Amino acid sequence: MIKIKNLHKNFGTLEVLKGIDLDISQGEVTVIMGPSGSGKSTLLRCINRLEEITSGTVIVDGQDIMDKNTNINMIRTEAGMVFQQFNLFPHKTTLENVTLGPLKVRKMSRPDAEKLGRQLLEKVGLADKADTYPDHLSGGQKQRVAIARSLALRPKAMLFDEPTSALDPELVGEVLEVMKQLGREGMTMVVVTHEMGFAREVADRVIFMDEGVIVEENTPEEIFSNPQNPRTQGFLRNIL
Amino acid sequence: MGFDFKYNVMWESVPMLLVGMKLTILITICGLVIGFALGALNGLLKISRNIVFRKLAGVYIESIRGTPIMVQVMFIYFGLPMALGMRIHPMVAGIVAIAVNSGAYIAEIVRGAFQSIDTGQTEAGRSIGLTHFQTMYYIIWPQALKRMIPPLGNQFIISLKDTSLLVVVGVGELTRTGQEIIAANFRAFEVWLTVALLYLVMTLSLSRLLNYFEKKMDINK
Repeated sequence: MIKIKNLHKNFGTLEVLKGIDLDISQGEVTVIMGPSGSGKSTLLRCINRLEEITSGTVIVDGQDIMDKNTNINMIRTEAGMVFQQFNLFPHKTTLENVTLGPLKVRKMSRPDAEKLGRQLLEKVGLADKADTYPDHLSGGQKQRVAIARSLALRPKAMLFDEPTSALDPELVGEVLEVMKQLGREGMTMVVVTHEMGFAREVADRVIFMDEGVIVEENTPEEIFSNPQNPRTQGFLRNIL
Repeated sequence: MGFDFKYNVMWESVPMLLVGMKLTILITICGLVIGFALGALNGLLKISRNIVFRKLAGVYIESIRGTPIMVQVMFIYFGLPMALGMRIHPMVAGIVAIAVNSGAYIAEIVRGAFQSIDTGQTEAGRSIGLTHFQTMYYIIWPQALKRMIPPLGNQFIISLKDTSLLVVVGVGELTRTGQEIIAANFRAFEVWLTVALLYLVMTLSLSRLLNYFEKKMDINK
């Protein structure tokens, strides 16, 4: 589904990703952990080309994202992105946030798009908030709308960039619940998060990154109970 | 000799002044419509990725902001015709002057409003597959436009008042009409007072109108 080969990314003279190799297969849930500044968000953002890669290849759904013939807008509909800061469109209602993609990118008719939008809002438990503007939603509700907005394009994979880091602790659960359900339904997911409970419950694999490289990868059970690398051990000690 | 305030002179001058006021409104509207288009274009050029576009917009904005509008008006009406070898109608010169002048200030308003929108909005738009243009049109413009309204209102009022400078090229707008009435009846106090009140009527109506739009666009009452 997603193949990354020898990916390098520089910001000016600073090398943020120093040769990443990663294969993510269909239906797999991958959790990426690591200290801040380790390059995990940048890696995620390279997958749908929100960041231009410096060298290496990224192949999403069989298409090289740097290839001139690849329509990057279509790649982005196949790999939906959920942001830490939600980034809902404040001038549009919840339903309009969700239907914009289907209407303008998928060229769906308005009744079809709204039907799909309402289904997805129901799926994330916000059917009654369709006509509400984002400013009137809690953080957890905003993030669930953001997930519905990405799902509205029927993506083959979902990328989550610290989706619960900006939330009050009591609101984290409702967002994780939606994500867990997606994972169980077989969605291919790449999740940058420090939520160990989530990783344990739904992740097929946990990747530990530090200083722009993948330091260790394993099943959640193995990596949490028996980390091999000293840097992984140190990190896990700090967040437990 | 005591000053004798002639109340009825004010009333008598109103019909003529209203004719001038019509021209003032016409020049303001035409000038600002073109000025807004110029401003929107240059504001966007100023934040474009192309350095040539950015520099061009920069030269326009800086040279207009850095010179008095009076000089700009005279240059357009007396200067340009010499170079082009053709006469310019005073009304046209007036509209062009207001448009070019307000355009430079509006460009900065547009640029500021766009830059104030969080980059996360663009990223969110692009990541649901919208093109750059669609993201601008559906996501960034509507939010930026709302933020532009208060500073735009300010600029509209300034431009409206700036039309009084067109007196120097002989456009028969409100101020010029006032001068002409005084030349005939010598009642400077009453006539200028009336002219001032008429400007006030226009500027207050304009700010009311903009307030109304601002409220209307505020979805989160």
